[in-house]
Amino acid sequence: MTMQAELESPVAFHITGKRSGAELAPVTERGLRPALFARYRDLTALRYDFPLVLLKDARDGECVAALSSLVDKALEDASGTAGERLRAHALRLEREIRVMTAAGATGSLGALLEQAARRVAPAADASLTESLASLRGKLKADGEVLDCDVRMPVRLIEHAWAHAQRERTDSVRSDIERLIVKLSDILLADTARSEGARTPASLKATVGSIHGDLFDFEAMSRLLKRAVPAGALAPGRRSRIERTLAELRAQRFYAVAGGTEPYAFRFGDCASALLAFRDRVAGMARFARAVTIARLEIDGGYSEERHDALFAQLGENRLDLRDLALFPDYLVCINTRALSATEQGELMEILASGLPMKILVQSDDILEPPLVQTGHLAFGTRSRQLASMAIGLNDVFVLQSASSNLPRAREQIRSAMQYRGPALLSVFSGANPHADGVRPYLNAAAAMESRAFPAFGYDPSAGKDWASRFTLADNPQPERDWPLHVLTHEDAEHQSVAEETAFTLLDYVACDGRFADHYAKVPRAAWNETLAPASECLDAGARGLPDKLPSVPMVDADDRLQKVIVDERLLREAVRCRDLWRSLQELGGIHNSHVANALARAAAEAKLAAPQAEPVAAVVAPAAASPAAAPAVAAPEPAQERPADEPYIETPRCSTCNECTQINNRMFAYDENQQARIVDATAGTFRQLVEAAEACQVAIIHPGKPKNPDEPGLEELLQRAEAFR
Amino acid sequence: MNMLATECLLELCEERHELEDYQSGVPRWCSGCGDNAILAAVQRLCRDEGLRPEKTVFVSGIGCSSRFPHYMRTYGFHGIHGRALPVAEGVRLARPDLNVFVNTGDGDCCSIGAAHWIHAIRYNMNMTVFLHDNQIYGLTKMQASPTSPRGTKSNTTPRGSTLEALQPLSVTLGVQNVSFVAQAVDWIPENLYEIVKAAYHHKGFSFVRIVQRCPEWLPKVWDPWLHDPQRITILRHERGLQPSAALSQVYRNQLEHDPSNLNRARELASDTDQIPVGILYRDPSVPCYEDLRQNGKLHTPELIRSGLEAEFDKFTVWPQAAG
Repeated sequence: MTMQAELESPVAFHITGKRSGAELAPVTERGLRPALFARYRDLTALRYDFPLVLLKDARDGECVAALSSLVDKALEDASGTAGERLRAHALRLEREIRVMTAAGATGSLGALLEQAARRVAPAADASLTESLASLRGKLKADGEVLDCDVRMPVRLIEHAWAHAQRERTDSVRSDIERLIVKLSDILLADTARSEGARTPASLKATVGSIHGDLFDFEAMSRLLKRAVPAGALAPGRRSRIERTLAELRAQRFYAVAGGTEPYAFRFGDCASALLAFRDRVAGMARFARAVTIARLEIDGGYSEERHDALFAQLGENRLDLRDLALFPDYLVCINTRALSATEQGELMEILASGLPMKILVQSDDILEPPLVQTGHLAFGTRSRQLASMAIGLNDVFVLQSASSNLPRAREQIRSAMQYRGPALLSVFSGANPHADGVRPYLNAAAAMESRAFPAFGYDPSAGKDWASRFTLADNPQPERDWPLHVLTHEDAEHQSVAEETAFTLLDYVACDGRFADHYAKVPRAAWNETLAPASECLDAGARGLPDKLPSVPMVDADDRLQKVIVDERLLREAVRCRDLWRSLQELGGIHNSHVANALARAAAEAKLAAPQAEPVAAVVAPAAASPAAAPAVAAPEPAQERPADEPYIETPRCSTCNECTQINNRMFAYDENQQARIVDATAGTFRQLVEAAEACQVAIIHPGKPKNPDEPGLEELLQRAEAFR
Repeated sequence: MNMLATECLLELCEERHELEDYQSGVPRWCSGCGDNAILAAVQRLCRDEGLRPEKTVFVSGIGCSSRFPHYMRTYGFHGIHGRALPVAEGVRLARPDLNVFVNTGDGDCCSIGAAHWIHAIRYNMNMTVFLHDNQIYGLTKMQASPTSPRGTKSNTTPRGSTLEALQPLSVTLGVQNVSFVAQAVDWIPENLYEIVKAAYHHKGFSFVRIVQRCPEWLPKVWDPWLHDPQRITILRHERGLQPSAALSQVYRNQLEHDPSNLNRARELASDTDQIPVGILYRDPSVPCYEDLRQNGKLHTPELIRSGLEAEFDKFTVWPQAAG
């Protein structure tokens, strides 16, 4: 191999992906990982969001909390020497629990605290035991402890779902129980009033055996039968109430006291959830109808002539989408591994038809090869496409997040569970067996960091527009293409060097052993200015032979900085990943092209208009003033001229005192608000008009001029009427 | 529980009542009596709010005003003197589904019923109370009542009454748990109706004192206010009432008053020169007694039976235990 070829072998590798020559080493050595991971080799030494505690019996508010925040809250008021000791012990125990759960331990917080105490001090330690008791008292909460592993997303979502269901169904359940009691009361009252209840035998039964001989039940029965009030329940109403009661008691949607065993609402695949839903639809319709009838009956508002026809028109099995709010939501947990084409079809059917189902789709591997191999790598096609498609359906709640971010997204999870409609939760667990030695938490966080699995939320109930519905806020530095971090290392002269480094898809993929062939380690001797940060090369996009090679900083098992170059095929995939992220950014209102265009247009228009600024302002000014002026013109509406000789009443001021209507109820009458008006001025005499005006308590009758010039005593009447002109 | 689709449909066939549906009989009040105006406003409220007659009850004591339930085609309870409020409280507890109204007079409420009045304010049960205050016992033909102005000549005070009149608004505003106090005059129908409506919509003990003319026994006593709109102060506020333009043309004396200001309300209530008309005080956060008593338990036959059994067991002699 010539010298020239050797020099250019990094370029050749970049273009072909084939390593030639000895100076490019494969990245197969164990422990090689992105340089930004260097600090996170041992997660158990860090206090972070995990492990999580699924709070038991959380009545309202949060049902999930980070162990560290629970401990912090418990230590809030710890002070003095005793407080410091408690703090030291508590933090030690917390760390031990973190180590234990990382090793796969499970259990409740209380049990794990006990175990941790035994591990920390195998021999009895009085002060630790005391701290443990005090800590348990202050924690005030218990529940299952979860580390960020492959099981976590399902357990967390199940817990949040069950919590939301409990919150929601409690009120419905007690409402149903109330309806059952009230309906039974109607039947009981009717039975108690019936002839049968007043026979001597049944009266005797109500008194009991001890005092039975003291009464003459024959006489009591005779007396009471005479006092039976008329109007027993009509047979139609009784049978309707009985039918409704039977329907309410037979329902299987809620566990009510004395009711039937309720249905299951938790499913492992869409097909069986859909099947169960279809099976239950008729029952749901009957139940919704029974609830309505029960409420009407209890309210005394069921009218057979109107409601019978209405319910007949509705039909037996009709169920409106709004009625679904009455029923518990379904939870379906699936893994992308098991997501066949049929299953996917059913999933989309559930989402598209707005069924009340919460679907968790968990991916464990987002770098899996695509189903259709076309030459490019196409990462995350299956896991990412679902969430994007679901957003397109417009009324589906969508949450995509890596498992590491789930504790931060708990408010969104809560909203998803409360949302009245379908919700899709797409979660990447990070538990990828190919990510050599990288803990699921770190892997998941890196997937989000590198935009390989961005987090977003789409909440249709949050508003009408994208700005209020869609959010990218959970992503690190969402306004950038790639998040920037400061990488501090020591150079050859043992000087500290800090440089800003972007964390790109190339850094993320470097953790995965399957893609080792796309990377080549460049020996320190060959480091030169052609090795550029990957983010720069991603922006360059030049054709022809590259003058810069994308390099990724990595560290080996001894934390020594290495530079690794990437082949062009993987670089292309990173460009695709960035473009997908940019389009998400646009949806989230970041660097939105429509906004940019509109701003540019506005700026151009303003520039054009600038020289004529003054004349335009002059033209605009009167126009702007006119809306304010308009009411001023309109306000003094010309008072409606009344003919001075017509009698009238200021009806709105009438206080309904009956004075005028008693003088002449054909001349004066009340309107629909029980206030007087003159209905027929000719139905009486001018004298009556004047007398009414005088009698009126609030003096609102105006007699006008007399119609009949021959009426006797007119002159005197006109004088009296003068006061009411 | 949310509104079901079927329930939305049911609204389509809701019954609609006319004012006449709430009228019953011809009032036996004297012509010109202010009670008629109150009756018209209340009937209008029932119609406009679509109150179902079988879900509405008017409770009264004794007096001219207490004949009110007879003229409403709803449930009614013409009670005994001074006891309208306790009866209404019983109705409220036993039948929480009913709209409860109380009509009481100045004698009925402020004299013989004063003790019940004070405690009813403190209980703050959800009901609407109209105090028809004509300052005289009219039904028994003119005796002075606690609200008669000093110097009122009547059959019981032939040389004029000696005491200052009691101020029903000041008393009400001084009691713990007061939650709604308003004042209206019978001769401004629009304002009367708006106040009656606001009182109905307040959840709690809504107390409306209505200044009412008695043309038979005290014919001239309100004339200075009746004939001079300037002596009426219309209270207005964005959280209170907003008088219409037509009303404002006649009653120009208007005052911005925040109904949450209790001290200011007390000042206004003690003004005897002007009549403040509108909502003096409103605090929707005061809890209702019936809600405080709610323990959320469903009274199932089993619960009632076990409760009774437990009570009876206290008085049972157990032969085995005794032996």
